[in-house]
Parts: sequence; structure tokens; C-alpha cells
Amino acid sequence: MKKKVTANDVIVFAVTFVIAIVFAFPIYFNIMSAFKSNGEIMRDAIAFPKGLYVDSFKYLLTETQYPAAMLNSSILTFSSIIVMVLVIPMAAYAIERTNSKWTNGVFTYFLFGMMIPFQVYMIPLFKQLKMIGLFGTLWGPILVYISGSVGFGVLLYTSFLKGIPREIEESAEIDGCSRTGIFWKIVFPLLGPVTASMVVLQGLGIWNDFLMPMMVLPAGQAKTMIVELFYYVGEFSSRWDMIFAGTTMSLIPVLIAFLSLQKYFVKGVSSGAIKG
Amino acid sequence: MIAQLKKKKWTHYAIWFIFPAFLLYTAFVIIPTLSSVYLSFTSWDGLSSNIKYIGLDNFIEIINSPRVHNALKNTLIFAFSLVILENVLALLLAILVDQVRWFRNFFRSIFYFPVLMSGIIMGFIWMIIMNYNFGVLNQLLDMTGLGFLKADWLGNPDFALIAIILSTVWKAAGYYMVIYLAGLQGIPQELHEAASIDGANRWQQFRSITFPLLAGAMTVCVMLSMIGSLKIFDQIAVMTDGGPGFATETLTYIIYKVGFGELRQGFGTALSMVLFLLTLVISLVQIKVLRKREVQM
Repeated sequence: MKKKVTANDVIVFAVTFVIAIVFAFPIYFNIMSAFKSNGEIMRDAIAFPKGLYVDSFKYLLTETQYPAAMLNSSILTFSSIIVMVLVIPMAAYAIERTNSKWTNGVFTYFLFGMMIPFQVYMIPLFKQLKMIGLFGTLWGPILVYISGSVGFGVLLYTSFLKGIPREIEESAEIDGCSRTGIFWKIVFPLLGPVTASMVVLQGLGIWNDFLMPMMVLPAGQAKTMIVELFYYVGEFSSRWDMIFAGTTMSLIPVLIAFLSLQKYFVKGVSSGAIKG
Repeated sequence: MIAQLKKKKWTHYAIWFIFPAFLLYTAFVIIPTLSSVYLSFTSWDGLSSNIKYIGLDNFIEIINSPRVHNALKNTLIFAFSLVILENVLALLLAILVDQVRWFRNFFRSIFYFPVLMSGIIMGFIWMIIMNYNFGVLNQLLDMTGLGFLKADWLGNPDFALIAIILSTVWKAAGYYMVIYLAGLQGIPQELHEAASIDGANRWQQFRSITFPLLAGAMTVCVMLSMIGSLKIFDQIAVMTDGGPGFATETLTYIIYKVGFGELRQGFGTALSMVLFLLTLVISLVQIKVLRKREVQM
């Protein structure tokens, strides 16, 4: 049965539509400006591009360190989330299934990390990375990202594990399957939805991170896309076309990931919020 | 006997399962945090190898420094305005998305998309929009005959803070919208039906059904937005660098500037202890409030 369209429906739609324009405008403005020449942007910011001006993309990709920065952003994001997925669910599983005094202690210890903002420990952290020789390497940020996500990740996984019955694991144990085997072959596949949520949320955070790669990665070389963009704002302060092209290139992978994994972005936010 | 053996085997595995996460977390979160506590009592510059213990001097300076007071004031302005504006807007968006009849998922994605942007990119886009000479905002004001309202939004200390607050609201509202939306969709439809049979209008239904039942989502959102507002950094870095003057310098920003710009890392870590304390208090209140609510339900 189809309900009749009421005046109220139309009003709600109109209001939502107007707010949506305000929300979408900056993104539209960004992508549109990426295809305008600098002169066009300065003359009339609102006007639609006259043609498809792609010189700023070409320049960024051939004359600057932007491609190297893209590679760094990808390496940081992917390596960190791969190790996270190897390390965190395993710890959460052992904590949840053992459920003894000492594992509960470890759990509280991990959760405590969620209350420590990065800025609280960043100053000594950089010194520490220098001491152990990780300063100026991609390994430094990767290890720090993994460590920083332990609290949130363990919380997310343990609350999901509570809902998975132990019977399957017990019968597998009787059949002589090892703990490691049980975990990776039976339990881990069942954790798919949490893994997806954690991967998209943490991956996004790393891709967009600014402060740590700026401080830790070596000077004079390409850092990450976001850090390079920050420098371009200073260096090319009058070449906005270049920066718009750069921001567009950094947003496109995020947009693709969001459109194809939308469900997990939304789920991760709501489950993380309710538990945390 | 067998049970005991089994338990022992379990513990053995558990140690190895937990060990990698434990090691990393201890090495890269806990140890630097403890060093931070220690360094806050020193006058370390971040470079020299001799670290001088100066007792409470850093904390006394925090209490007496007008620049720190200004940063704390800005942090509080940020926190309060962001908590209120983000939550009001997020709730409004959630209700609209919940009610709208057409293109519901499309609208939800549009409102959520700014959440995915880095603060640097978002700050850059808004910086250009609010540019005095070439920005869209002033151009729009000119076009609509409101040219007298034109201003140098980020160059004027009176407007710079507001400009950062409004662009942050734009970026973050979609995140809390998702949480409110989950709350709204958890409210049984029967309640609204019963209320409308009893003759309650939409506003009355919102006030006596929707709003009270969203209290849980609201507690979560208020706490999260408060902690989030303490951490704002990227958009300040790109939009104003703490200026004009010190007009947009916040606690997190001053930690960075003092620690890395002015090479006073001892003082920087002392400031970071203030940030730690603030976050800790908010988190503990949050846990307490949430526990209470669970008991009531």
C-alpha cells in the first residue's frame, strides 16, 4: 500500500534538501575548483569551470613529490591495519575467553589507553622513537597507530565475542584442533563485521592523520598526502588550483571506500559509541 | 584435575595471544605517557641530554601565564559551543533523515561525508570559502546585496574562532547524526501511533516520547563531542595557526607550539598533563553516567 503524499512530506523534503545543499557545497566547490585554472578561481569562485582544466593534476603528478606521498599514505594505512587485524582480535579473544582475574586486569589496562589523548604523550614519544632508531622511518608511525588502537579495538572485539557461543570451539578442541587453529579457522571468520568496522574507521583515521607523519617522517622527502597538502597551502599560497587538485586526489579513495563499505562506516560509529 | 590442566593450557595460550598487543601498547602508549608525567617536572628543551628537575615550576607558570589562560578560555569556548551546536544540528539532521520520504540514504550519505575528510582538507576548503578577496562567502554577500556584511573572516580575531567553530560543526555533525539515527530507529512505532490516537500533535510527541527515549544516545554524543572538541588541531593549523595573535590558540595547539616551535618540551608536557586531567574527568563522568543509566534500564 502506498501512502498518499502529504504537505508535511513535501515540507520535510524541502528542508532536508536545502540543508543538504549547504552540506554538499564545500565538497562540490572543491572538486569543481580542481578543474579550473588559477585565474578562473580568482576571477569567479562560484562559476562553473569553462573546460576540463587538468594541468594542475599533471603538474602535481609529474613535478612534485605528491606521487611518493600517495605511496607513503597507502603504505602507512594498509600496513597498520593489516597488523592491527593480526594482533588485536587475538588479544581480545584470549581476554574474553579466559575471563580470569589477570586477563580482566589486562582488559582494564588496555581500556585506560582510550582516555589518553595523543597530545599527552606525543612529546616523549618522538624522543623515544629517535632513541630506538624508528624516527624518520615508516615503521615509527605504523607501530604507534597500532598501539593507539589497541584500547578501542579490544573493546569492540570483546563485546562482539560475548555473543559468539563457545560450543563450536569446544568441539573443535575435542577433535584435537590447536588454539591457534581454532582462532584463525573458526572464530576469526565469525568476527568479519567487527573487523570490517575497525578496518574502515582506523584506516580512515590513519589516511587523514596529520600531526604524527608531519613530525616523525624525515624532512626533505615526501611525507603523506595530508602533510604535503598542508605544506602546499604555505608554499603555493597563490596556486589554489594545485591544492584543490591535491585535495581531490586525496578524497577520491575515501569516497570510493565510503560508497562501497557504507554499512561498516555507520555500524562502526554506532557500536563504538554505545560501548565506548 | 583435568579441569585444572585445561585451565593451565588455556593460560599458556592466552599469554601468547595477548603478548604482541600488550608489548606494543606498553611501549608506545604507556611508557611515553609516564615519561610525559616525569618531564612535566623538568625544564627540558627537547634536545639537550641533561634534563633539569624544577619541581612544580611549570605548573606555577601555567597558573600565572595569561597566554595559557587565553588558550584554556578558547578551549572552553570551543567545547561548549561545539557540544551544543553539533548536538542540536545532529539531532535535527537525524530527525529529518528519519522522516524524509524520498532519497533517505542519499541524504544520510551527504550529511555524513564531511566526517570522512581530514581536518587539513576541510580547513583548507573553508579557508578559501572565507577568503576576503576571492572567497565564495563574500562573493555571495555581494551578489545578494549584503555587501556591507563582508569581512575578513579568518583575519579578524573576533570572527576567527567562530569561523573555526562553524566549520568544525559542519565536519562533525554527521557523526553524531548516525548515533541519534540509531536511537530514533530503536523507538517502537507503536508509541507514536498510540500518542496520535490520543490526539498528541507532532511537537508533543517529540517532547514526551522521542526526546526522553533519546537520552541514552544524547549522553554518548555529548561526551564524545566534548572529548572531540578538546582534540581539535588540524583545522587550526591550516586555517589560522593559532592566530591572529593568540585568538584561536587552544590547549592542544599550545602544547604543540610550546613543545616543537619554542623548544620548551618540559613546559609542553606540563600543559599536556592539564589536557590529560580534563579528558580523564570527562571520561570518568561518562562511565559513571552510563552505568547509572544501565541500572535504571
